Amino acid sequence: MTDARILGTGYRVYDGPRLGPRHAVWTLTRHTFERIMGLKRPARYKVLPILTLVIAYLPAVAFIGAIALVPSRRLGSFVPDPGQYFAFVTAALMLFAALAAPEALCPDKRSHFLGLYMASPLTRTTYLLAKIGAVASAVVLVTMGPPLLLLAGEALQNEGPRGFSQFMNMLSQTVIAGAVLAVMFTALSLVIPSLTDRRGFASAGAVLVLIGSAAISRILAFQLRLGDGWLLIGLQRLPFEVVSRIFDRSGLGTPSGTPLPTAAVAGSAIAFTLVAGLVTWWRVVRATVTR
Amino acid sequence: MEPVVRAEAVVKRWGATPVLSGASFTVGRGVTGLLGANGAGKTTLLGLLLGLHRPDSGTVRVLGGDPWTSGPDVRTRIGYAPEYDALPPDVGAADVVRHIAELHGLPRREATGRASDTLWEVGLGEERFRPVGTMSTGQRQRVKLAQAIVHDPDLVLLDEPTNGLDPAQREGMLELIRHVGHELGMDVILSSHLLEEVERVSDAVVILDAGVVVAGGELRELRGGTDELVVEVDGGEEQSNRLLAGLAAVGVGAHGIGPGRVLVTLAGPDVLDLVRDVLADAGMGVRRLQPRTASLEEIYLEAADRGVAAR
Repeated sequence: MTDARILGTGYRVYDGPRLGPRHAVWTLTRHTFERIMGLKRPARYKVLPILTLVIAYLPAVAFIGAIALVPSRRLGSFVPDPGQYFAFVTAALMLFAALAAPEALCPDKRSHFLGLYMASPLTRTTYLLAKIGAVASAVVLVTMGPPLLLLAGEALQNEGPRGFSQFMNMLSQTVIAGAVLAVMFTALSLVIPSLTDRRGFASAGAVLVLIGSAAISRILAFQLRLGDGWLLIGLQRLPFEVVSRIFDRSGLGTPSGTPLPTAAVAGSAIAFTLVAGLVTWWRVVRATVTR
Repeated sequence: MEPVVRAEAVVKRWGATPVLSGASFTVGRGVTGLLGANGAGKTTLLGLLLGLHRPDSGTVRVLGGDPWTSGPDVRTRIGYAPEYDALPPDVGAADVVRHIAELHGLPRREATGRASDTLWEVGLGEERFRPVGTMSTGQRQRVKLAQAIVHDPDLVLLDEPTNGLDPAQREGMLELIRHVGHELGMDVILSSHLLEEVERVSDAVVILDAGVVVAGGELRELRGGTDELVVEVDGGEEQSNRLLAGLAAVGVGAHGIGPGRVLVTLAGPDVLDLVRDVLADAGMGVRRLQPRTASLEEIYLEAADRGVAAR
């Protein structure tokens, strides 16, 4: 004889805590982030996120290795500071933004799961906030992680900024630049997926818009000499112009040789981010879930 | 006691097209069938109950709250299974159901346990880790039901839950709905255009026709009693013919409705006595003797006719 018993629990009344709408937002943010990163999904969904992270982090790891192995007088200016490192993550950032945002928005519309989200304690606005949070969290892994890793690697080997105040200054600039880039790329990358339910179209569209706008802006500014201001419509360039200003640098080259005015850069960045955000919000608010 | 749902003079248009034109009704405890032809406004009405749409005029109260102004709070207590296929094909059933439970406020650990229990309850225990896209239509309908009840809601809205099911699967689904509404203690609104399935599981009905509620209430009351009596006797057609002849001899109107079954017109207070005497004199074995009640089909057709006449 033993005391063992088989308890068939079956369906039970739930009388535990109910955590409310804020928990719903957090749940959706976490769920979407996991989906973007391919977590808890078959291996094929993990390939692109991992590849993108490798592209973003590998240079930082290589530079840290170089600092550790090669005397600093021989390295010279070979190793960039965190402000210059953003140039190395451009490709990874664009690729990541083009993958993450469609993964966040398109499947909900295509599978009609959006209807079930709207039948939950979420509203359209909190749904979008959760999606923005998830995409931004994923993008920030690329915009903030590698430069911070490089900064930490340099500091641990007594390289990089000299003194505590300079280190803190560089740290704050790196964090702010990473956050600003994440906000801009999140806003810009969500627009196209808000217009379609096809992931492939959305990813291709996002890359086309980023690269296409850069090409058009360069043709207008450099080839047709219509003025430096046209460079501000280049969505690939604009975020890095902003980053340059955060690191107290003058920015990238222009046809006239005069750096773009900081106010124009900031205004353009804010305008594009706001317009992109508003278009996405309008599309989500107007989305038909059921009739 | 506050009804589960109360709607008063609800009007909703999509552009210039009126979908609901002054719908008023209440829904009480148990299973309520929301009945109407395709395009009658059932799905729009469910959208209003969920707070997804704002009525152009009129008021809607669900579980004591206004779903438009208190949407998140009301929806926390509602489960919803839409008519359309709404499940991500590449995600396991248990993950989908757990996710919905968490969205409705259950902590992760509780949500995980209940997702599993609920999938067992709807008969998908062994299949719960399979991606939804690999499941049959019947299994996907069961997953939709599971995600609608996993958080133990007060009210469950089911929109055409038997769509695409074969007869055996439909039977199983109706049994599950009856189980949810009568044994698990949740109030259910079952939207359907199929009279038979509503009649089988519902305690009450709301009948929509062209955006207007043409009939509503407890099914038992709507059926009421008719002025006809069903008599079923042993012995098949031969005996029912004998009965018809006996009734005709005493002046009682009647006609056969099948082997051994006769429908008697209750034309006066003494007809019941006359029927009893004829049965006793003929020495027939009586299987059934009861007033005939209206079927839901008759209620529906009569209500629809009234609606057409009113328009």
